[in-house]
Amino acid sequence: MWERIKHMLIKEFIQIFRDPRMKGVIFLMPIVQLLVFGYAVTTDVKNVATLVHDLDNSVASRELVSRFVKSGYFSVVEYTDSEDRVRELMDRGKVGAVLRMNKGFEDDLRAGRTSQLQVIVDGTDSNTAGIVLNYSSRIAGQFSTELLTQRILRSSGPLGQTGRVVVETRAWFNENLESRNFYVPGVIAIIVMLITLMLTSMAVVREKEIGTMEQIMVTPITSAEFILGKTVPFALIGFADVILITLIGVFWFEVPIRGNLALLFVATALYLLTTLSIGLFISTVSQTQQQAMMSTFFFYLPAVLLSGFMFPIANMPPLVQWLTYLNPLRYFLVIIRGIFLKGVGPSILWPQLLALAVMGLLTLWLAAKRFHKTLA
Amino acid sequence: MNASSNENAVVVKNLEKRFGSFTAVNRVSFEVQKGEIFGFLGPNGAGKSTTIRMLCGILSPTGGTGTVAGFDVRTEPEKIKANIGYMSQKFSLYEDLTVEENINFYSGIYRIPPEKKKERKEWVIEMAGLQDRRHSRTGILSGGWKQRLAFGCAILHEPPIIFLDEPTAGVDPVSRRQFWDLIYELSGKGVTTFVTTHYMDEAEYCNRIGLIYRGELIAIGSPDTLKTEFMQEEVLEVICERPQDAMGEIEKLRGIQEVALFGKGLHVIAQDAGRATSDIRNLLGTTASVEKIAPSLEDVFVSLIESRDRADQPQQEVRK
Amino acid sequence: MKPLRVWAVARNEFIHVIRDPRSLGMGIAIPMLLLLLFGYALTLDVDNVPLVVWDQSESPASRQLVSGFLGSRYFLLRAYVHNYPEMERAVDSGRALMALVIPNDFSGRIESGRLAPVQIIVDGSDSNTATIAMGYADVVALAYSQEVAMETTRRIGGRMIHTPLDLRPRVWFNADMESKNYIIPGLIAVIMMVIAALLTSLTVAREWESGTMEQLISTPLKGSEMILGKLLPYLAIGMLDVLLAVAMGQFLFQVPLRGNVALLFAMAAIFLAGALSLGMVISIVTKSQLLASQLAMVLTFLPSFLLSGFMYAIGNMPHAIQLVTYLIPARYFVALLKGIYLKGIGLEILALEAGLLTVFGGAMVLFTNLKFKKKLV
Repeated sequence: MWERIKHMLIKEFIQIFRDPRMKGVIFLMPIVQLLVFGYAVTTDVKNVATLVHDLDNSVASRELVSRFVKSGYFSVVEYTDSEDRVRELMDRGKVGAVLRMNKGFEDDLRAGRTSQLQVIVDGTDSNTAGIVLNYSSRIAGQFSTELLTQRILRSSGPLGQTGRVVVETRAWFNENLESRNFYVPGVIAIIVMLITLMLTSMAVVREKEIGTMEQIMVTPITSAEFILGKTVPFALIGFADVILITLIGVFWFEVPIRGNLALLFVATALYLLTTLSIGLFISTVSQTQQQAMMSTFFFYLPAVLLSGFMFPIANMPPLVQWLTYLNPLRYFLVIIRGIFLKGVGPSILWPQLLALAVMGLLTLWLAAKRFHKTLA
Repeated sequence: MNASSNENAVVVKNLEKRFGSFTAVNRVSFEVQKGEIFGFLGPNGAGKSTTIRMLCGILSPTGGTGTVAGFDVRTEPEKIKANIGYMSQKFSLYEDLTVEENINFYSGIYRIPPEKKKERKEWVIEMAGLQDRRHSRTGILSGGWKQRLAFGCAILHEPPIIFLDEPTAGVDPVSRRQFWDLIYELSGKGVTTFVTTHYMDEAEYCNRIGLIYRGELIAIGSPDTLKTEFMQEEVLEVICERPQDAMGEIEKLRGIQEVALFGKGLHVIAQDAGRATSDIRNLLGTTASVEKIAPSLEDVFVSLIESRDRADQPQQEVRK
Repeated sequence: MKPLRVWAVARNEFIHVIRDPRSLGMGIAIPMLLLLLFGYALTLDVDNVPLVVWDQSESPASRQLVSGFLGSRYFLLRAYVHNYPEMERAVDSGRALMALVIPNDFSGRIESGRLAPVQIIVDGSDSNTATIAMGYADVVALAYSQEVAMETTRRIGGRMIHTPLDLRPRVWFNADMESKNYIIPGLIAVIMMVIAALLTSLTVAREWESGTMEQLISTPLKGSEMILGKLLPYLAIGMLDVLLAVAMGQFLFQVPLRGNVALLFAMAAIFLAGALSLGMVISIVTKSQLLASQLAMVLTFLPSFLLSGFMYAIGNMPHAIQLVTYLIPARYFVALLKGIYLKGIGLEILALEAGLLTVFGGAMVLFTNLKFKKKLV
């Protein structure tokens, strides 16, 4: 039995790697995705291009602007007193924020009245806009609170000492809040799923299409041996990719890895159980490679989007959140991030591991059953 | 251009195709006349399909020249394609389309004028016997029907020259006979047919045959010419009990080139028919019958190939 | 170019798509799925941050601070914890994203008019959510400080003190800051690319693999005729998808469309032509369906999803990557889409993007024709 499986494995590997471009795709694709998710995909907002529309031009107004600049979040690209210029730069998308103060800003402050700072943000990217507004709130709020305590002191003397809350924040697991620490480990999960899903389903269907399937089935090979022969190569490739991405992630992107590597491999194995089974299942409902690819994509796209990889599950509508419980990617992501960033182990992650195991066995059983049926 | 070349549908001189270090077609030269049925005979891998593809303009030669319908295969492939019909070895019509849809498609591709469109379509369907199957998906048809459809689509636009690569592979004898009737009919109308085959009996139907082996044209001529002129040796038919046992014995006799099982008996190829006849009679006794017969094309073919192999051998030994 | 031949190929391709319900479904179902997901389910907005509170002070002052957090729609109380291990477990397990720790001298410090630090522990794994959550926390703290100041004033019977600075936020183009308003327009670009990746990248490769291409190249059918014929059905499906997206955006999601609809469709058609041609080039060059599908994923879908400014602002990316995005046609289309939808601007501002998009479209179609050869090898 092992002899036959071994031969199927060899044949499969030869077929996969005969086309050198295939090698490129299998190993290049993870790297490209890593680069993109490691560098490009970031929700960090820094150095927002800012236009200053200061009609007061006073010490106070300039002081406020410098607070914004000092924060590091805002980068002033231009000073203007023209309303049209504001409109133009916003329309063209050349600035993400406009700081506007009217004439009389300083006078109001001196007289103890309330003066206004208008912050105009570009809502076409409301995520960034929200963050920008938040930064603005904080900077303006601090400015305001300082002035307020001064005013109270002035008017009431020492009695007017007022307490202030100071927030000291500590970010656990990802101290500098680097986006890449969030995404890079996740790339492992989505790459492994894509590779195993697509290659497994298409490889099996390809044999159906060409007609070699019939030939193999006439031999004494059992369907279990056939399935193993078809899925094990892609499992191995999956593991290879896990190693590749982990190495690049840790040594190039300096993503921390605080947990147990052995646990990572165990979890990957469980995860692969599910993805390979799904790939196999897809092959049983597809007659052509084109159909296999379509079905893979139809499953893969929502699986990635609804996994917590990019979009937090907690922010999804409750019904959708329930749906994500069916998504193996969801559990694997928790495990991966747990191992890389949080350094936690089975004591915390056992629910996810259990879920993956159950899911894996269930899908394998379903897929094998269906596979056997469609052959007979 | 002289007058005789106007009569030639296909002219090929030293045509060559190399794939890296492997030469698939090695300086092949021949001419096919208009209205002729020309057969390319040879074992698998001999270079038949490669040659046809070059003549159809879908594969570029690496050496030599050729013209089809007067157009150069290297510089004017598109003009060639407008004047030929091609039926490839592997079934190449659309499996998820019906018979009628496939025909409609090629009607459009060949821009058959609207007046003729229906007429040609009906002709093809009738010729192929697909009247009851016109709305069937091609994918579910059996091999024989697929072949007929493919042939029909190749001649839908009434091309003056048709290239058929193993058109009757896997087809039953009756259908094959019908197919050749059709070829003759077309030939009578002046259509040139270039066909490859490895069925020896089919080769007999051709006006002329080219024998191709390992990329080289080793013989060319009408079936009769090949049988009489090319064959150096003579052929004996031996009928006896247990021919397979006799084989080994006969092979050891002097002057015996080749012994092969043929039908119920043996075909023996010998240098001298008379001497061989008496030798075999002596060996087998009077219960056996030994008769000189006219060689079949298979005999010719085998003989030529064998002598080719023998000619190559000393060279190989020298190389060693 | 003979229309009859082009039409024969187009009809052929169309029949093939119709006959394979899966392809058709993908062509229509996946765009719809994307629209529904991004319209209803997916967002980067942060709400209901799960919070645990470790109030070591348990004084009126600390409780007032806590209520500031609880009263905000941005926070959701999970539990009160009473020691470090409890808090640690909550954050480790993901039950809470944030922990608020109020030291026991909080009340004293506030009352004596000093600085009163509190600790916020946040799970930094998801840096986006963490950053936003931290921002919310800061705002709550600031509001609390201001309230304390007001109370102080009232207590000592002073005059009304006005807040010195009032921040007036103005959000242009998307006043409600609904993330779907800016996602849905950009999504159209992604949907176009998906069609290209899925459908056209397989078409030519499939014919090579099945042998039907060999037959085709032996006919007088010109390469350009075949390419155009194959593009037409997918162009139709693509434009149908645009219509679907615009309709769903309008009626289902109420995304405002302030600009010129005709311009939108015109740009979509140009982009689609380019995207489909790119898919086709992949098909022509690889001659293998397996390879084509992988390549298409990397070359068309991924960049348009991540690097086009659709989801992640290009301005936030490192400089080197920003330069790379200039090469991605989806970038220009997304800018056009957002501009037309939200800003209501047209060619007078977006001429450059429109021009580049047209160049991309034209170049791609040309390139496809160059790459396709009517030869076997």
